[in-house]
Amino acid sequence: MTPPARPAASVEPAVPVMSVVPTGPAASTAPAAHSARVVIAMTVDLAEFDRALGDPFDPAAPLSFARSAESDRREEFPAEMCQELDRLGMPRLYVPVEHGGALARYDELLAALRLVARRDLTVAIGHGKTFLGGACVWLAGRPEQARALGADIVAGAPVAWGLTERGHGSDLLAGTMAATTEAGGYRVQGEKWLINNATRGDLICLLVRTRPEGGPRGFSLLLVDKRRLPRDRYRHLPKVLTHGIRGADISGFGMDDCPVPADALVGVEGGGLETVLKALQLTRTVCTALSLGAADQALRLAVEHAARRGLYGRTLVDLPHVRRTLGRAYASLFTAEIVSVFAARALHTAPEETSVISAVAKAYVPSRADELIMTCGELLGVRGFLTEYHEHGAFQKLDRDHRVVGIFDGSTFVSRHALINQFPLLARCHPAATADPAGVEHAADLTAPLPAPELDRLSLMAQGGCGLTQGLVSAARDLRALAVAGHASAWLAGLAEELSAHCDLLHEELAQFPPSSQFAPPEAFALARRFELCFAGAAALRVWLHNLRSGHDELWLEACLVHILRSLRPAEMPTDEEVFDRLFDALRSGASVGPPTTKGVR
Amino acid sequence: MHGSELAPMEPSLRSWLRERVAHYARREPADIDPSVSLTNYGLDSVYALSLCGDLEDHLGVVLEPTVVWDHPTIEALIAHVEEMLGGSSRRMDAG
Repeated sequence: MTPPARPAASVEPAVPVMSVVPTGPAASTAPAAHSARVVIAMTVDLAEFDRALGDPFDPAAPLSFARSAESDRREEFPAEMCQELDRLGMPRLYVPVEHGGALARYDELLAALRLVARRDLTVAIGHGKTFLGGACVWLAGRPEQARALGADIVAGAPVAWGLTERGHGSDLLAGTMAATTEAGGYRVQGEKWLINNATRGDLICLLVRTRPEGGPRGFSLLLVDKRRLPRDRYRHLPKVLTHGIRGADISGFGMDDCPVPADALVGVEGGGLETVLKALQLTRTVCTALSLGAADQALRLAVEHAARRGLYGRTLVDLPHVRRTLGRAYASLFTAEIVSVFAARALHTAPEETSVISAVAKAYVPSRADELIMTCGELLGVRGFLTEYHEHGAFQKLDRDHRVVGIFDGSTFVSRHALINQFPLLARCHPAATADPAGVEHAADLTAPLPAPELDRLSLMAQGGCGLTQGLVSAARDLRALAVAGHASAWLAGLAEELSAHCDLLHEELAQFPPSSQFAPPEAFALARRFELCFAGAAALRVWLHNLRSGHDELWLEACLVHILRSLRPAEMPTDEEVFDRLFDALRSGASVGPPTTKGVR
Repeated sequence: MHGSELAPMEPSLRSWLRERVAHYARREPADIDPSVSLTNYGLDSVYALSLCGDLEDHLGVVLEPTVVWDHPTIEALIAHVEEMLGGSSRRMDAG
């Protein structure tokens, strides 16, 4: 079966959807602390982009389940669908405005990638990879280098990011691809393996060893343009067959004593690891969009099935267990979405803290999406297992595709390790609340325009700790004050106080925890998981507190806090989960329930 | 802070650093050789950055988080801090 050809009169906007809407400095609307900086209002019409992508249930749409199923079955790269994204201007969102693109706000990139991921994760991963490939250049490249790369990307050139090698995946300092200096540039020898777009990419940003002894200052980055390399000195390694994202170009790249021009260097020699670790803060944040998109679609398929499926003379959705399960799944999705959106906004408002925030987001959001997809799979039963029936097997495809999100770009294990590395700092900073609370409040207030991102403020260590968890005590106090004044329920305030007490207790345990570096024990990972939960609950509370203008809807916050607390409470303290029934009933009735982070993507 | 004020704290800074590194590496301070790279004590290169925050608190100065990467031994760290604070280039006795 071949996918139906698109009708000739289909959506072909004359102007790419992702064009830049000029927004001048609007200092008057900025919080005082940031008034000197250019403020960026929304620049991308997400609703128009969503409309242009079409209805995935319509086989003729640019991104449809029918097309996705076909390329997945053939294990072929979804080239046509990626071209549709090129036509819509999606690559512009991978390039910061100062380098000729449309990326002014990371929450917009997050939302756009989520809309694509909702339709096809393989496409989102294969296309979105170009943002990952460029990230190091946006951080550390020379202005003319960044502008040239920006022009290439806007013109549709795929870019890969060559970090990992065979035999020592996440251990970047074990890399053996080496560059030696010679007149006019470098000679590069070695292989990168399991690289997304290694073969398709016109350019690849490589982490190479520039000091034989290695170490944190022993690696550098080279932005290699294959079109400028001698063809007999580089090789593409074969596509690797994978369980999910079967159409993706997961392959490798080898260089055999290959000359590379000196101007390929990104940043300074020896700065490779530092730049990569900062770039990962951007990419780990953005990658959470993939999980949100997958979770959106999984839940939609499960809810629609439950509403249609008859059982014992009723529909599935009328069964108490099903309502409870779906309500809980929505609460889980809302919490993950809040963490994701908060993290993307924090890149603008609290860049000093994103070494913590991005690690939490990349560990928390894909893990929740994995759970949610498994839950939906149980509800769908055999329908979630069929590859040709039920929306062309969309569920079994997203189920397989999503597995990779918790693995790549820093697996859940690696992300938790990044958090564990910062435990001494988190423990020391929590009691004195040394982080700047303004960055947190600004990230949580979704109506506040964002300052332009200042990537030079990203840091390998959040030296002031985590403002969100530090500010949980005051957030719970603010909610209590609202409750006392009759603007919130005392029950809700009690949930926030319970979370805050958990968070303080956790930090006491962090302070007592023996230092653990390379061989962090399982207990450290359990503490990291609890930190993620406290962070997620705090983010939900902050977003609620700072967006009261959009309505005093307590239901979503109550559901998010109960969802978090049931994982933090000791086993002997059961959780009353009836709030999930109320949440599901409200959503089913069509009521506008949910966090304001959802705006623009529902 | 001037070099003349820093001078008396040099020995204490060195023993303080040995104690901190020993704490993170879970060893005895006596086992920490100030002339050996911190990575030799099993400190993950990112974990070693924690030392920067301690050092900032201890000295009341602001440092690049990667100071430990660029000055990977206790000796090198002390020399860097001395230089940064405008102190003399006088090196401490070994041992």
